Amino acid sequence: MHELLTMHFIDINLATALQVVLLGFIGGILSGFIGSGGAFFMTPGMMNLGVDGVIAVASNITHKFGKAMVGSRKHAAAGNVDKKLAAYVLVTAIIGIQIAVAINSYLFKGGGDGHGTAKGAGANLYISLVFATILSAVAVSMLRDILKSKGNGDGGGGPSLKIAEYLSRLHLPPVIHFPVADTKVSLWILMLVGIATGYLAGTIGVGGFIGVPAMIYVFGVPTAVATGTELFLALFMGAFGALSYAYQGFVDLRLTMLLYLGSLVGIHLGVYGVKVVNEKYIRVVTSLIILLCVFSRIVAIPVYLRQLSFLDFPADWDYYFNITSKFFLFASGIGGALVILLKVFHAYRQRRRVQKTMLVVQKPGLKQVEAVRVLRN
Amino acid sequence: MAIVMISSLYQSGREELAQALARKTNWPVVSREDLVDQARAAGIKVGRLELSIIKSPGMHEKLAREKELYLAFLTNALCEKARQGDFIYHGRAGHLLLPGISHRLRVGLTAPQEVRIKRAAQMLHMTPEKAENYLLQLDEDVGRWIHTIHRVDKSDLNQFDVFFNLENIGLSNAAGIVCAMAELPDFQPTPASMKMLDDLHLSSQAKLRLALDERTQRADLQVQADNGVVTVTYPPHDEALGRDIPLVLADLSGCREIQCTMAETNILWVQERFEPKSDNFQQILQLAQRWGAAVELLRLVPPGELQFDPEDPGSLADSGFSRPECPLPYDGGVEDDEPATAEDDGGLRLTEEELVNRGRCGGRHTICGGTDKILEQVQGNGRYALVVIGDMFLSKGHSTRTRRTRELALSIRDRLKAPVITADELKARFLFGKRQAVTLVGFLALLVLMFGVVFTHQEAVKNFLSGPFHQHYKWVASVFMIFFIPLIAYLYGTVTGLALKIINID
Repeated sequence: MHELLTMHFIDINLATALQVVLLGFIGGILSGFIGSGGAFFMTPGMMNLGVDGVIAVASNITHKFGKAMVGSRKHAAAGNVDKKLAAYVLVTAIIGIQIAVAINSYLFKGGGDGHGTAKGAGANLYISLVFATILSAVAVSMLRDILKSKGNGDGGGGPSLKIAEYLSRLHLPPVIHFPVADTKVSLWILMLVGIATGYLAGTIGVGGFIGVPAMIYVFGVPTAVATGTELFLALFMGAFGALSYAYQGFVDLRLTMLLYLGSLVGIHLGVYGVKVVNEKYIRVVTSLIILLCVFSRIVAIPVYLRQLSFLDFPADWDYYFNITSKFFLFASGIGGALVILLKVFHAYRQRRRVQKTMLVVQKPGLKQVEAVRVLRN
Repeated sequence: MAIVMISSLYQSGREELAQALARKTNWPVVSREDLVDQARAAGIKVGRLELSIIKSPGMHEKLAREKELYLAFLTNALCEKARQGDFIYHGRAGHLLLPGISHRLRVGLTAPQEVRIKRAAQMLHMTPEKAENYLLQLDEDVGRWIHTIHRVDKSDLNQFDVFFNLENIGLSNAAGIVCAMAELPDFQPTPASMKMLDDLHLSSQAKLRLALDERTQRADLQVQADNGVVTVTYPPHDEALGRDIPLVLADLSGCREIQCTMAETNILWVQERFEPKSDNFQQILQLAQRWGAAVELLRLVPPGELQFDPEDPGSLADSGFSRPECPLPYDGGVEDDEPATAEDDGGLRLTEEELVNRGRCGGRHTICGGTDKILEQVQGNGRYALVVIGDMFLSKGHSTRTRRTRELALSIRDRLKAPVITADELKARFLFGKRQAVTLVGFLALLVLMFGVVFTHQEAVKNFLSGPFHQHYKWVASVFMIFFIPLIAYLYGTVTGLALKIINID
């Protein structure tokens, strides 16, 4: 069994290594810009390089663990981490992760043995389906929000707190107060969201995509605190996920290290971009990138269905499905990253240009501009 | 000149106390309701603001602008009243208005709940049960309002100078006490408090103008005033604002100078004395230029030191339990033509002038006191990307200075909800020096070694992670991973952060 697992670790030569670094870089840019872990790009990206789904998820969740440790320190310094909220969600999220790890391991061991290389087909199909369903819902709801705010002409509107308001009026005891986030949430709602976040983090390596919106929309937490708390939470969830997957022998350390090489540079550039791009633009770019990623995963699904004998078509066709899937994935990631990099470059130049104070001296009584001094560096 | 600000919940007797005080003193009474009516007439959507805060208190950009407009209108109206003479104000959060004006008397009031219920039932023609529920909901909403608009807890008694419980004292006696208190020297105007009033008036006028003018109303602006100088920072994505702002503020009375700085964010620099040639100045300027930030100067003069001798209760009178009186220079907005007679302003003007020359000026203030005073001064100025606590408590020894500076930084960070660091930490955290260069080279060497070992021994690594070794020592591999991965992330994260600092991306 373990010799077989080792065989599922791909051989890494220079070309493969560079591709993984590039995946990490693009994932990092998207991660810094969008605020998610970037797993929605890196996990399928690695799968397209021939890495088994479960190994891609395990290596990515391990990578996310270290990254969250670095990121959450910065957020904590800015006062954006509600440790009490994170502790409550964490306990329930661990249950969710355990469920996810159990399902993934079961499917990996059980599915697709009859078709040669298709050992992980069951797990791959399952991960792809969950991935497509959840991220389609996220992208569509984001686009709907943007269209709605456009219709209202309310460009500066913040997130709707209707759900949080409704739930707070239900008064489901016990209700817990979180001082940093300055909100009160029922323990039952916390548990539900925690399990869902943990399950998704363990299944597709995507926790922030659910955790952050849930904290904002369901708990009514301010956006900056939601991001900081989610990252703090990801540190522990990642550690637990990494420990669990490593115990089962699914973590490929080499992939994790290569992902870091790209992602930690990319994340800085993405965060830099967020500071200068308006929120609506961020949301449009994000939802389009996610939709393309989802489409890429959907295109790959027939291959897994054939490997599991649910569909019947020549095995040669796998190549075309895979290449199309790869095309859309890289189109979304590279396209999105290029758009963000363009913004970053623009902002970088603008920052060097923005060194200006205009001084207008007025003489009381005369009410006229006496001197104007504009200074540029 | 007396300014009495009475604050209480609905039907707790604030209006009656104001009237009783007015009968004793003949001072005019202004109510929140009067000002809200005037604000509505001026086109400010107070109802929408209240509804938004009650229904979804998260402060988004548009709501924040409406809040600023509402506060500017109220502050402007109250400053005008204060300049005319004595007055009494009553409202739900009256004690939080006119922040920083030390001669205002902040009076809190509470009444027994059954009295409130009875009064509400009579006033609104409700049954007592319905009135009780109504009051509970209303109190909760008012608490939310105070929290969102003023960022304080409605039950924080530290915000008041005196607080009455009408269960224990009659209205007439309470009015008598307030009347007597208002005559005390502590609540008389001083040059410093009058300067503060002028600054507050000028900044609220400027905010109102900018918020109501169609050229500037959609912009996210930070406005301050100090001694007739109005400083406005505006975002870089709308360059035309640099031209429009002076035009909008062109004939603002009391304004002798306008400084408009294009900035993505603000850095607040708190220090006791400023010096444009100091290391602190150079480092903060370097950071501001990298971040595209404006630097706001806040000169903090610490209050007198507490020297209370527990063995001698008589020493209480001189123990420091008195209002700190700041020896602030005040020229009523008129500049002195003779520099030789100018007051010592702790290097504030010279430093500001240098910042203007470098295009990074974000305004200046001088205050006397501690954290509360800082918060009163800067809370309405939006969020800061960073607060730097520079050289403080200069009269103390090195250890005391370090400890008290650290305590001040922690206290501001907790209450302002912004990243706060001391000037000593600035270089290590945000700038690149020799120490950072050594770290970069050392960490990079370690990383090369780690990557080299892993990628030249791939088969052994695979065996360790998932092969026969793993089969026998599963926990060893797992625990190794838990320590090794954060180490790699930390080393490489530090290396990338430092490398990007060199090219000014952070």
